[in-house]
Amino acid sequence: MSGTISRVRPPVSKVTAAQYFVVRVRRAALLVVVAALAVGCTGGGAESGPVTLVFKHAKILGPADPVPGLLREFERRHPGVRVQAESLSWNSDDQHQFFVINLEGRGAAFDVMMLDVVWVAEFARAGWLLDLSPWVARAELDPHFPSTIEPATWNGRVWALPWLMNVGVLYYRADLLAKHRLEPPRTWEALVDQVVRIRAAERDPRLDGVLWQGRQYEGLTVNALEAIWANGGRVFDKNGVIFPEEERAAGGLALLRALIVSGVSPSWVTAADEELSRRHFGDGRAVFLRNWPYAMDLFQAETSRVRGRVGIAALPGRVGGAVTAMSSGGAHLGVNRRTRHPELAAAFVRFLASAEAQKAMTVGGALNPTRMALYHDRDVVRSHPDFPVVHDLMLRARPRPVTPAYLMLSSTLQPEFSAALVGVKSPRQAIEHARRRATYLLEGLQ
Amino acid sequence: MTARERADARVGRVMLAPALVALGALAAWPGLWVLWLSLQRRIPVFGIEHFVGPSHYAFLATDPRFWNAMEVTLIFTFVSVALEFLLGLTVALALQRQRRGRRLAVALLLLPWALPSVVTGRTFEWLYHPSAGLLNFLLGGAAINWLGEPGLALPALIIADVWRTMPFVALLCYARVLTIPPEIYEAARVDGAGAIATVRDVTLPLLQRVLLIALLFRSLDALRAFDLMFVLTGGGPANTTETLTVYAYRSLFQTLQLGFGSAIGVVVFVLVMAVAWGYLRVMARAEEATA
Repeated sequence: MSGTISRVRPPVSKVTAAQYFVVRVRRAALLVVVAALAVGCTGGGAESGPVTLVFKHAKILGPADPVPGLLREFERRHPGVRVQAESLSWNSDDQHQFFVINLEGRGAAFDVMMLDVVWVAEFARAGWLLDLSPWVARAELDPHFPSTIEPATWNGRVWALPWLMNVGVLYYRADLLAKHRLEPPRTWEALVDQVVRIRAAERDPRLDGVLWQGRQYEGLTVNALEAIWANGGRVFDKNGVIFPEEERAAGGLALLRALIVSGVSPSWVTAADEELSRRHFGDGRAVFLRNWPYAMDLFQAETSRVRGRVGIAALPGRVGGAVTAMSSGGAHLGVNRRTRHPELAAAFVRFLASAEAQKAMTVGGALNPTRMALYHDRDVVRSHPDFPVVHDLMLRARPRPVTPAYLMLSSTLQPEFSAALVGVKSPRQAIEHARRRATYLLEGLQ
Repeated sequence: MTARERADARVGRVMLAPALVALGALAAWPGLWVLWLSLQRRIPVFGIEHFVGPSHYAFLATDPRFWNAMEVTLIFTFVSVALEFLLGLTVALALQRQRRGRRLAVALLLLPWALPSVVTGRTFEWLYHPSAGLLNFLLGGAAINWLGEPGLALPALIIADVWRTMPFVALLCYARVLTIPPEIYEAARVDGAGAIATVRDVTLPLLQRVLLIALLFRSLDALRAFDLMFVLTGGGPANTTETLTVYAYRSLFQTLQLGFGSAIGVVVFVLVMAVAWGYLRVMARAEEATA
């Protein structure tokens, strides 16, 4: 074999090495000129020639996607501008990873991003977001729910505009509560009491008490924080001390553990996410459910088994505890700092967050706007009759800790919270370990 | 060395060069880069980037979460590979005896292996579903909390992994079994060997090499197990299913601790290399014994 290979000679070229080199250099020089021209054109393109804005967003679930209509409207008002929407996977971890890799790699392949509310501070701290303060006065945020503002204005500047709102709420079986002459519970103690009474009277072994999300993921952080808040605990105090009221934090976890031990919650809540628990409740197999407002539309769908039998209320607090605490969630809109069209991108974000655009999105889909006034708008209420109630719940929502290290914090807390729920650690131990690890990890990160 | 041989050698080197460059660019360079990263504290969100030497490794040495992940990884690898080995071998031998429907059996066997792992994950998510899952239904409506109970979650994942990759072992063994000449079995029969003796003294020794290769592949895969945990449990409950690669992913991609996450990655790499080296030693020895 090798003998035959060695006999093969490359064809002798008539071009000498020097000539070849000259040709290559010329070609390279030409390329540089062309590239420079291209950059020059697009760089100044905000005023002349066609401009394309790229908007990266999570897949919008719901009956109809209202985004394309909004994009066309923006294009109509800004002649010569095209907006291209590109949707990412529905998985929030994947979205985060996509943004992080591209932004850290200094990519400018997109201009505007839909951000989970807990990422805003992180992206702002990393220098990935354009400071919107020159275009957006602080007062422009006032019509949005209060809990959306702290994340949007981390460190005193405006980094993102609130777009979609979420809040943890308590769903209850209105028919069962009415039958037993009960009001939606205001405290966890009352909730447990109601579950015991209803189940004793119904004699249905397949009827569970209260469902929530205890799988080891972000949903667990949310559920555990709500329990800790309800019990008067906090994650941080002013000086950055973690779990300053240690006993109260442990008490919050103990409350969740007690729900499982007593059978008020089925043991599988430790593996449940939003959809798992939502389906079970939707099958009519639980009295209470903690979830986000999106579930209401599904419960009221024509094929739903619990249609017309579900009510929505604030999450319970505790006897002698603090006011009830429901976590906020949702999405903000931010601009890539490396965008070539900062002016336009800011205008686009302001347009999407405007009352008009948010109204169009809400009427056309199953999305909750961040503008408070829309919850009493006549057209909106016609398609979403529960909105006035949802408004009052959202008003009381509380953001998860606003810190650039949020994901680090949450992924440190999750295993400890999970350990307390499944009984591997006592609540106090779990809080103690969580505090120690988080303190170590967050040291020097501000 | 003659001139012709020297020329051959030169051409050989030239022809090898692209492969070496590709290997260097794709394997060696990123590997060294990860090693270099692991010696730094590097958190881009906070603009932190400085050399810290081996301090991440020192932290890992006393990090309970790391040792837990190591334990989970080793248990997962050992148990799932052992089960795959036993079941795969059994299936291959059964196929050998099968007279009719062999093709159908092989096709069915290929199915779980050909499915994308996320699909497998979702399938098992439904099988293990606490209230609507097939498994609990078959167990008479039991309310077993497969993925949310600390003692059950890892076994549940191992079962899913065995279902998915046992066919790989079975098919490799079956392919080897097909090449065993029937005369050998005839000779065994003439010598009065029973069914068990035939398997023990004829089939198994002939399968040794292919089994070692299958074990090597499976062990290396299992040590890097990620997707099933990621889809089914997220590492929970209480980190009882968090493997080293899940821990590395959380540190690297989810929380962007590039230095610390890389240190875990390096540990996984060393572990995989050590196991691979061990297998290669055993294989070399087996080779010598048969030679």
